Amino acid sequence: MTDRTRLALLLAPALLVMGGLFLTGLGFTLLRSLHYAPALGQTRLDLSAYGEILTSPGFLKSLALSLWIAGASTLIAAVLAVAAALLLRQTFAGRAMIGFLVQLNLTVPHIVGAIGLLYLVSQSGALARLAYATGRITAPQDFPALTHDPAAIGIILLYVWKEMPFITLILLANLQSIGTDHEATARSLGATRWQAFRFVLLPLMLPGLAAASALVFAFAFGAYEVPLVLGAHAPKALPVLAWQTYTDTDLATRPEAMAMAVIIALFGFGLLLAYARVLRVWGSDAR
Amino acid sequence: MRGSWRTLAGLGLASWLILPMVPLVIWSFAHGWRFPDLLPQTWSIKAWTYALSPASGVLNSFGLTTLIAAATTLLAALIGVPAGRALGLHQFRGKTLVTLFLLAPAVLPGMAVVFGLHGLFLRLGLTGSVPGVVLAHLIPVLPYMTLIMAAVFSRFDPDFEAQARTLGATPFQTFRCVTLPAILPGLLTGALFAFLVSWSQYLLTLAIGGGRVQTLPLLMFGFVSAGRNDVTSAIALLYILPGLLILAVTIRQVTGRNIALTEGLRP
Amino acid sequence: MTRLVLEGLTKAYPGAGQAALHDLSLAVESGSLTALLGPSGSGKTTTMKLIAGLLSPDRGEVLLDNRPITSLPPEKRQVAMVFQNPLLFPHLTVAQNVGFGLKMQGLPAHRIADEVATMLGRVRLTGLGARRPAQLSGGQQQRAALARALVLAPRVLLLDEPLSNLDPTLRDEMRGLVRDLQRETGITTLVVTHDQAEAVALADQIALLLDGRLAQHAGPDDFYRRPASQAVARFFGAVNFIPGTARAGQFQTSFGLLALPPESAEGAHLLTIRPESILLGPGPNPLTARVKAVTFLGTQSRVDLSVAGHPLRAVVAPDAARSLRAGDSIPIALPPTALWLLPAQS
Repeated sequence: MTDRTRLALLLAPALLVMGGLFLTGLGFTLLRSLHYAPALGQTRLDLSAYGEILTSPGFLKSLALSLWIAGASTLIAAVLAVAAALLLRQTFAGRAMIGFLVQLNLTVPHIVGAIGLLYLVSQSGALARLAYATGRITAPQDFPALTHDPAAIGIILLYVWKEMPFITLILLANLQSIGTDHEATARSLGATRWQAFRFVLLPLMLPGLAAASALVFAFAFGAYEVPLVLGAHAPKALPVLAWQTYTDTDLATRPEAMAMAVIIALFGFGLLLAYARVLRVWGSDAR
Repeated sequence: MRGSWRTLAGLGLASWLILPMVPLVIWSFAHGWRFPDLLPQTWSIKAWTYALSPASGVLNSFGLTTLIAAATTLLAALIGVPAGRALGLHQFRGKTLVTLFLLAPAVLPGMAVVFGLHGLFLRLGLTGSVPGVVLAHLIPVLPYMTLIMAAVFSRFDPDFEAQARTLGATPFQTFRCVTLPAILPGLLTGALFAFLVSWSQYLLTLAIGGGRVQTLPLLMFGFVSAGRNDVTSAIALLYILPGLLILAVTIRQVTGRNIALTEGLRP
Repeated sequence: MTRLVLEGLTKAYPGAGQAALHDLSLAVESGSLTALLGPSGSGKTTTMKLIAGLLSPDRGEVLLDNRPITSLPPEKRQVAMVFQNPLLFPHLTVAQNVGFGLKMQGLPAHRIADEVATMLGRVRLTGLGARRPAQLSGGQQQRAALARALVLAPRVLLLDEPLSNLDPTLRDEMRGLVRDLQRETGITTLVVTHDQAEAVALADQIALLLDGRLAQHAGPDDFYRRPASQAVARFFGAVNFIPGTARAGQFQTSFGLLALPPESAEGAHLLTIRPESILLGPGPNPLTARVKAVTFLGTQSRVDLSVAGHPLRAVVAPDAARSLRAGDSIPIALPPTALWLLPAQS
């Protein structure tokens, strides 16, 4: 058997399965968003669903909200993760314990974290009760609305809580392969600790950080279960709006739901390409 | 001086990581915990006994979720090991494209694909069925498994197989006695984390299961909406148990580099 | 005792411009220890893999005792190969490694244990059977890999650069071990190496591969005294090449006539003489040379000379060169018996 045949046989099942499930799923979504439904006798492609949603303030608000959520979460998580990675890079008392907690965090599903956070920071949650006990508030409404709020602060908090450890671990692995020689060299050339970090270490960490951030952004943008638990009624995060539109009893809104899904997919693709580009362009150099 | 900052920061980080879990633990042992009480008026294990009783359906759901995750992982391993080998040991034209194609399903939000998938499965009669959900879970799980196996195989020296062949081993014997032992640790670690990916799926199960396949997170959300914080918390703590177990088992295998490999796709 | 014959083996790698092997034909006598020598890229490892069955030739046949095995998969050929890297299976003990091939054949456990014990003794690894490969030194791992192949009593044994990963003292030891084992077992053995000194020290016969072709197949001595081409001579360290025409036992060069050994060829040729054979002083075929440089090399001295503008290099004992300075004019001699004619355009 030639090398090529062997290669094809190795890859075939994965390609077939992914093609069959993923591509078909995407394809169906795309086609339906264009009003293509041969079963219903509609074979003309039209963009009216896109027109509908792109002119609907509800959709635009949801899109803006989701972008806000993803952007803020990614940025905060990234910055905190850099700090955490630098901290955990060194040895100190309790480091092993914290390392364990970081890894533990990764095994907790998002929805559990969301529920826990809900019980923690909602207006009748644990922190609110603490505020009451210390006399800072007198009623639940006095506690700032961090959940089900229009600024989606609770959602952002949850994403930061979950994604910061994720990025941290990736950065730690990167730091391990980067090693300490570069900084040592910079220091011996007269750089202060901050300068060594800013001009030598940080640039080396950037590709890994960017790649991880792309993944985080994609997730925070398109995940459903977190805004389900922590999100406000209006505006809804985009995935929640999309699901609601899909399950609406008025079947005519289906193409709009599909269109929303396609928009989410497009963002996802953009981030995937960014991720791939970052890793490919810098992949070998950063070591 | 720097040392104490470090410890402080460490403490802060540790507390931050634990914090959301604390209310869950307290709620699960609470019988009535009204605002503004800092701690429940009555402690009780009612939430737990209810959750663990057949009436709640939690144990059934736990079993179902485990079954689905196990089936998905097994399928992903069968498909992902050869694909991982192709990516890890071979160079070929279009490899980047293939890698991206196999990576995409794990990066793209499930929302992108789930509506269309639902339509497709409706046609195939797979909606509302466990096999349908298993197939749906393959979408995020398979890329994960494939890329882990690619990393595992890239660390494997194919000359070992050549050596075994010249010592008289048939291709099958070579796989069983040389290749498999070499990839097994990585495969098992990858499988355990792949299991977790399926374990934590929500939207895919919701959309494809159509309400008939009640995995644990779906069941749990039902109790959230009903305002039963105590039962919800008990279920939540049960829900994170497998993750804890898997972490405990793999903790020795997981080093800095490994972590990036195994967690590289799971925000 | 198996005779190994390669007939017209050709192998090209897809995408590579040059074929890795061109029409290689070689007969390895039964029971011999032959070195497959050549620089990197010359096709030695490709040849090994073709013999072992890990690669298929584009053209040509591999024959054992006149039976073609070219279409047989590796596990059916009874050709055992030991790689440059010992490749002991890390998840098995040393004893399990050595017994691997026997296990694949389905031998009962006690038989395997006996054979393994005997073989471990022969390679002087007795008592280390229960260890893991990682617990063995480099030299011990190499011996274990050797034992693993030998225990199968293969018809042909292929060793790919078995000594290059070892330090010099170990190398000597291993070389001796390989030689002794080969003599004891009489297995037809092919050793791949890029080091001509190693090939010369180890093998009965040397097959030199250059650019995927067989350049010469002969005993070690012939490569020094009677190289088949300029390329072969250069590979073995020859540096003195004098163009000219041979006629009636004499060689006409740009700086005079030189007497040739009897039965030399005629016509345009390249004359070569080994640096060690040039005499500094009076002797047959006398010439006057100017000293260009003297380099002390420890156990020898290298003297770079020029004869009528033509460069020559001599290697002598340090004492003989002690009084020489650059610019000196000295008499040198080129004994006819040390002269060898190469084809002019090789």
